[in-house]
Amino acid sequence: MNAPELPKSFERRETEFPNPLPRPEGELDALKKAWKAPKGLSFITAVNNTYVGLWYVGTAFLFFILAGILSLIMRVQLAVPENDLVSHNLYNQLFTMHGTVMMFLFAVPAVEAASVYLLPNMQAARDLPFPRLSAYAFWAYFVGGLVFFGTIFFGMSPDGGWFMYPPLTSTKYSPAENADWWLLGIGFIEISAIAGAIEIIVGVMKTRAVGMSLDKLPVYSWAMLVFAVMIVIGFPAIILGTLLLEMERAFDWPFFIAERGGDPLLWQHLFWFFGHPEVYIIFLPATGMVSMIVPAMAQTPLVGYRLVVLALIATGFLSFGLWVHHMFATGLPKMSLSFFSAASTAVAVPSGIQVFAWIATIASGRMKLTTPSLFVIGFLFIFTLGGLTGVMVAMAPFDWQAHDSYFVVAHLHYVLIGGMVFPLFAAIYYWVPVASKRALSERLGRWVFGLMFLGVNVTFLPMHITGLIGMPRRVYTYPVGMGWDALNLVSTIGAFMIAAGVALFLVDIARNFRFAGEDNAGNVWNASTLEWLPNGNYATRSIPSVVSRDPLWDQPNLSKDVEDGRYYLPGTATGGREALVTSPFDARPQYILQVPGPGWQPVLAAVFTAAFFLLLTVKFVFTAVICGILALGCVIWWLWETDPGPVRPPADIGGGIVVPVYVTGPMNHSWWAMIVLMVVSGMVFTCLIFSYLFLWLVNPGAWPPQDIRIPDWIWPAVSAFLYCGSAILIAVASRQLRGEDRRKPRPVPILIGVALLLVGGASAVDLWAQWQTDLSPSAHAYGAAVYAITSLQIFFVLTTLVMGIYTIARWLAGKLDTVRRTTFDNTMLFWYYTAGQGLVGLLVVHGFPRLTGGV
Amino acid sequence: MSGARTLQVLLALGGMIAWAVQFTIIYGVTSTLCGRGWADATIFGIGIVPLTILTTTLATLSAAAILLAVSLREDRRLRIRPASATDSFLSHAGVLINGFSLVAILWNGVPAFILPACA
Ligand code: HEM
Ligand SMILES: [Cu+2]
Repeated sequence: MNAPELPKSFERRETEFPNPLPRPEGELDALKKAWKAPKGLSFITAVNNTYVGLWYVGTAFLFFILAGILSLIMRVQLAVPENDLVSHNLYNQLFTMHGTVMMFLFAVPAVEAASVYLLPNMQAARDLPFPRLSAYAFWAYFVGGLVFFGTIFFGMSPDGGWFMYPPLTSTKYSPAENADWWLLGIGFIEISAIAGAIEIIVGVMKTRAVGMSLDKLPVYSWAMLVFAVMIVIGFPAIILGTLLLEMERAFDWPFFIAERGGDPLLWQHLFWFFGHPEVYIIFLPATGMVSMIVPAMAQTPLVGYRLVVLALIATGFLSFGLWVHHMFATGLPKMSLSFFSAASTAVAVPSGIQVFAWIATIASGRMKLTTPSLFVIGFLFIFTLGGLTGVMVAMAPFDWQAHDSYFVVAHLHYVLIGGMVFPLFAAIYYWVPVASKRALSERLGRWVFGLMFLGVNVTFLPMHITGLIGMPRRVYTYPVGMGWDALNLVSTIGAFMIAAGVALFLVDIARNFRFAGEDNAGNVWNASTLEWLPNGNYATRSIPSVVSRDPLWDQPNLSKDVEDGRYYLPGTATGGREALVTSPFDARPQYILQVPGPGWQPVLAAVFTAAFFLLLTVKFVFTAVICGILALGCVIWWLWETDPGPVRPPADIGGGIVVPVYVTGPMNHSWWAMIVLMVVSGMVFTCLIFSYLFLWLVNPGAWPPQDIRIPDWIWPAVSAFLYCGSAILIAVASRQLRGEDRRKPRPVPILIGVALLLVGGASAVDLWAQWQTDLSPSAHAYGAAVYAITSLQIFFVLTTLVMGIYTIARWLAGKLDTVRRTTFDNTMLFWYYTAGQGLVGLLVVHGFPRLTGGV
Repeated sequence: MSGARTLQVLLALGGMIAWAVQFTIIYGVTSTLCGRGWADATIFGIGIVPLTILTTTLATLSAAAILLAVSLREDRRLRIRPASATDSFLSHAGVLINGFSLVAILWNGVPAFILPACA
């Protein structure tokens, strides 16, 4: 079903409103009722972005404090030479946990969390398109993160540094479970981050205020869009890396063991392909926040909007060209390194553009020196310094000098604290009035800023010198008389100044933060964007149509008109929760999305998923598998309630626009999510193929090793044939499901059933073909790589099996017909992907060794 | 997402995609050739590594240049005959991004002329 054609002119109509006043009796009450959060114990099943967003931000902040406490312990230990407060072993765990928790449990989740809260408000959407997915992402992170952190109390924390280089982290040198905690814990948190990213991409593209076309999108939305795309591209690399390392540790498949054809450098590639963009992944949302705060504080539109958007996009691309710059000291050819040096310097340009845009904005308006402004200025100062030392480190020769010294520690903290912590504090001070009945205190805020700003410089400025005069990083103590004593003491004092600032901030929160339903503090800064409209649990009363980037400045009566319900969809059309889906470019209304409400499913699914991973870590395989099955069950229970179908005829949302309450095909939001999921899967697979080729590169003359027989070509041919056959059957089923008449064609479940047998058969044939050649996955990296590709494929085939059976069940339950077919479409897309990945896998595994002839 | 819009986005992002292609090829090829010690091979007396970098750079550079020209024309057309705000935004973004990519691609190719292939 397609959305009706809309009049082109609706963007321009300002004088007349889509909906007349007075609004009918009970309209607002129905809206309130639909969006009410559950009470009592079931409160935790709430999925409204306002609740989940706040819990999410709060949890991220909790991890900031916990990791901060670890750093204080380290600083106390290092305050004086030859201190024995903590042992060598514990210190290793401390810095690993501090780095890991800050990067994975604080920085990325914090910016993602803020966007769960802010994005829908800023785009005047009622909620994100998949509220239960955000709830799932949050609870998975909450449970998984806390347990992961808890390992520090049992001395079981990982201790291999936050980038976990093998061979240090291989079974040989780290036989205990510490490393597994990192691999499974972090791998799992990344999955939650990807779930959030899918939500953000679809949210930015599809749920916006009417008329908020791409050129009027808030810079923050742009930043989050680029952020989410970068997560989708970058995180699969680390997921694959952790998977490979965990397989090496669990099954002895030697991906990183040099004696058996593996290479520890492979880890570094996978890690930094994610790890460098990670810095920008953290940094971009922060700049997006700054780009919202600066215009509000200067009371003038952002200068150079288009250039800033260009800068965001360019940063997104260029940051992927940087990974090897962390490996300057590993003896790669100079020429290859120079490409990375080139990209490292190039990426400074877009950052520079943004800085100039902010300064120009400040200069063209009148900046009020509020607490958010102070944090922004602090950010500019600290981040610029960090950027300068970054350029120094980017010069390869200098890096060889400073490598692994405290200079790097100083640089890293200037960039991360300047680039992310300060903007985050600015954002909290700036946006609290949206969420709370009272704004935070300006007076306390100044003190918080002062203490933190001084503290950061007192802590980390001296570290540049400590590093240059030779103090290496990651040492738990140092001897007297190296000239490092005084500098270290100063750094420790600085660290406590930061801590005092953070403590004061908590006091401010405790005194002034009061969760607001409909009575928030309001637009205290006279800002221009939509999150400052009056709102409640249901977000804004009606969905505004905007004509500029600064609607609250350019459409004078907007707040009142929105609140009175004069704009689009002022009530609920289906009686439940709904969001208005708009077209991705011009933001024309397309259809009404029926949004799921609160439920235990995402919470339970998250708890069981976390349990699955955590129990695997401690090798309770049986219980873990049970939890895995329970998690899967909860997900199915959750999905069962989705895909409601057209529960009513198309509804009038005002202004003569009538939109359906259900669509399928490429316009549908879950279609988009599937496409993004396929990109994620495709990236995991691409990284695996890269690993395969990389291992080939380091194994001249042994690919495959002499004694290995490659399966006869007939096997892959049969397997490929079966993959194609299954995809064709699905295509036939899709044709059967065409039409507007709500038929339930009989052949559909049969076609899916046969297709299931074919994909299952395809991957079984391939596995058997490898098996009967006696290829061992643990004898040599070749076998490990082949079996890794096969195993990943088996995982996808199993997922397809579950989805196929689920789709058949939907048909049997009468929940699938020619109109109500989103479930089928999702399965279909995934099916095509699985078949395609299977074919490419066969081509590589069977074709490549024949092509190179073992060279 | 309609076909015309997809084209507009591709046009706007094309330069950066060209940059990514160039980066992948020159990095992939030099690491492979150097890693396997095949870098001494020459074609027409030019080392195979500089040759790949040169041809890849030229190819992607011209791709970016063409994209830039197209988006400039598009931008001018829209300025004379204004269409929707989205259209002019996309074409303008195309000019900026493709222009930037041109420089980034050039910058990436420079090492080929000043550094030894594999050392
Ligand atoms: C708030 C004040 C902070 C203090 C006092 C602090 C202190 C420290 C110290 C003492 C180390 C260990 C240095 C070593 O022994 O090599 C360290 C490492 C590190 N910190 Fe921080 N830090 C702070 C904030 C942050 C933040 C906000 C982040 C990230 C968002 C961060 C990320 C890291 C990372 C990634 C490492 C490297 C860990 C490793 O070597 O594996 N830190 N920090
Ligand atoms: Cu980096």
